[in-house]
Amino acid sequence: MKHSMKGFLSGIALAVLVTPAIARDITIDLAGEPSSLDPHMQWNPDSYYVYRNVFDNLVTRDNTGKIVPQIATEWEQASDTELTLTIREGVTFHDGSPLTPEDVVFSVKRITDPEFGSPQLGQFNQITDAKVVDGNKVVLTTAGPYPALMAQLVKLSIVPKKVVESVGNEAFNAAPVGSGPYVFDEWKRGVSVTLDQNKDYWGTAGPFEKAIFRAVPDAATRIADLQAGTADLVVSIDADAGAQLKGNAKAKLLSAPTERVGYVGLNLDKPPFNDLEMRKAASLAIDRLGITEGLLQAGEVPMAQMSSPAHFGYAPDIPAFEYDLEKAKSITAANPELAATPAVLATAPVFDQRIVQAVQQMLNDAGFNISISMTDMPTYLGIVRSDPAENSELSFGRWSCACQDADGIAYPTLHSDSNWSRVNVPEIDTLLEEARVSLDPEVRQAAYTKVHQMVRDNYYLLPMYQAAVLYGAVSDLEFEPTANESMFLNRMSVAQ
Amino acid sequence: MLRFLLHRGGQALIAAFGVVTLVFFIQRLSGDPTALLLPETATQADIEAMRVTLGLDQPIWVQYFDFLWAMAQFDLGRSFVQNTSVWEIILSRVPQTLQLAGGALVVALVVGLPLGLIMALTRGKLVSRFVMGQVLAFQSMPTFWSGIMLILVFGVWLRWLPSSGTGSLAHLIMPSIALGLLSLATYARITRTAVLDELGKDYVRSARARGVGTGRLVRRHLMRNSLIPIISITALELSQLLAGAVIVETVFAWPGLGLLMVQSVAARDFLVVQAVVLLGAFVTIFANLAADILYSIIDPRVRLAGKL
Repeated sequence: MKHSMKGFLSGIALAVLVTPAIARDITIDLAGEPSSLDPHMQWNPDSYYVYRNVFDNLVTRDNTGKIVPQIATEWEQASDTELTLTIREGVTFHDGSPLTPEDVVFSVKRITDPEFGSPQLGQFNQITDAKVVDGNKVVLTTAGPYPALMAQLVKLSIVPKKVVESVGNEAFNAAPVGSGPYVFDEWKRGVSVTLDQNKDYWGTAGPFEKAIFRAVPDAATRIADLQAGTADLVVSIDADAGAQLKGNAKAKLLSAPTERVGYVGLNLDKPPFNDLEMRKAASLAIDRLGITEGLLQAGEVPMAQMSSPAHFGYAPDIPAFEYDLEKAKSITAANPELAATPAVLATAPVFDQRIVQAVQQMLNDAGFNISISMTDMPTYLGIVRSDPAENSELSFGRWSCACQDADGIAYPTLHSDSNWSRVNVPEIDTLLEEARVSLDPEVRQAAYTKVHQMVRDNYYLLPMYQAAVLYGAVSDLEFEPTANESMFLNRMSVAQ
Repeated sequence: MLRFLLHRGGQALIAAFGVVTLVFFIQRLSGDPTALLLPETATQADIEAMRVTLGLDQPIWVQYFDFLWAMAQFDLGRSFVQNTSVWEIILSRVPQTLQLAGGALVVALVVGLPLGLIMALTRGKLVSRFVMGQVLAFQSMPTFWSGIMLILVFGVWLRWLPSSGTGSLAHLIMPSIALGLLSLATYARITRTAVLDELGKDYVRSARARGVGTGRLVRRHLMRNSLIPIISITALELSQLLAGAVIVETVFAWPGLGLLMVQSVAARDFLVVQAVVLLGAFVTIFANLAADILYSIIDPRVRLAGKL
């Protein structure tokens, strides 16, 4: 009996050893559940972490940030306002029907239809028409020359025309059908979304049989799930929570800089910051490296321009801001009355208050008289978008266009037409407009470099840092986080 | 009795009306929600169009009466974010919150009442002081902390229970304990006071003189007579449990109304937030009404006093 038990056990051991690596499931803890699984409806990370695995996009970015083919295999600028894309053949939706150029046209028209009311309308509303030509090609027409078009198309998911039209928007959201590497299985509202591997995927589907995305709102619980082995990958953690994973052999911390840029906006129409010297003193007083390395600690990078290395239009030669408290003090000492003009720093709860308080402290140490005004988000938005006379002297904000193009970040924060901008410099306006419509990357780069230099020299606003994002993962999961905060299951792998 | 019911029911209705009005105006105080519902790049025209869709372009009194009318018809509207009726969203979460509240009440009653009794019966002794210390500790622990501690000990370290989520009875244990601890302390203290109160009364002395043992005394006389404060506390605890559920459900990723509230705030789904707030208020009002009616049944003196 004893003998046979031993034999049985060694049999099992042998079986385990010789069985090839069994495909495994992956459980991902998100902070919230997706707002929507219809890729044209909602636009937030917890939604697109999930639906980008169910749908293919027209084009995508590889892990280095380069735009590469997905549903479109090649593309060509036919004229200033026309882009011709060749559509991949042999792609099928999860219901078995083929993905056709008509589906691409339908997807473009759906998301650009104002009646449909997509929150992403602003990203695609330069597209005025889409039509099929030569059987497998689609021509997109834009209102004018639009250099950011390819960057926007990275986010255009292709939905099946027939399914959407027959089931309607609401049912499509509840049970989405895409052509991506994972097939929608189940959505337990408020709990989880489960996807199954698409065995017929045209590309690489990745190593997972099943993917479960759960809504776990508390960061400490997400970390505990990772430590307990009930989650394989967790998102939205800060450096403090991440520190718990240090020294844990079973889990690791992954970080990547994003395309979000934190900045302090200045009111150029009110004292004290209508004065160039005062703005310079403010910038000198802020220890950006102290904030990124001392406070945030997730891999943020100090920035001296309204763009980041993740953007087209980033100018690597713009010098970093200097931190010199003594110099700042000597400037404010020369005009102490102006420096001590009471100034309000507007902020809202969504922003990291550690930064806001650090900025206040640093500026006050240099002789300014800053108080923080923390309001709810609608009030904050009302303040920062109001006329200069009603606007606060300072505001903290973080900007992202999800397009990785300087146009999406410099234009809204620096062009006088934008209600976010308190900058009114005709030369900057001209440069931003030129870069917005030119199809020549060199012309655009030159314009942005000039804008960044002018902002740097005149301290029109104070860029602070490129934000980073932290993930926690089990040690054998290979996942390379990217600047656009995507989470493609088919780019992950499991170490043997 | 009918008069008493009408009186208390009328009070409940006035309270409900007050809550609806407060919710409406407080929401308007916090600014225009359109800016939040639209992406940052939205133009002024987009904002105006959204205001028309939401009815925010109407004068405030028109909006208020529309809102009252909708409430009178139990119409909670449609979530802009989930694109589903708010009722459907709320109802899908109610069973989980009831389970959790039930679990917490069981923890609180099953542990709290005996602890209170022990404290009362052993008053002045070391046991009583020790138990009191424990109860105080339970009462002082913030739920977000005790929840995480439970997860770390039983989920991560011992691995006896699932660290978060839902799906089995095992999932219910830790959240029920975390949520029940606070009420447990309340029950223990109230039971102690009520039992001590009763212990000093003449009937207890005569019962003891008749040779009634402690067990029988507690079962037959003390518990029953101490019930009134315990029932009224249950009504109050119910609203405490709903409030506590916001934190406990967040910590344990338990998909009830509390988590829905947090998720809806984060997703700026304000109609859902409004509905959860209203629901919480109505549950509290209703629980208090039910408690009033219950005592009037248990103790007719309450009913007579109600006439005053």
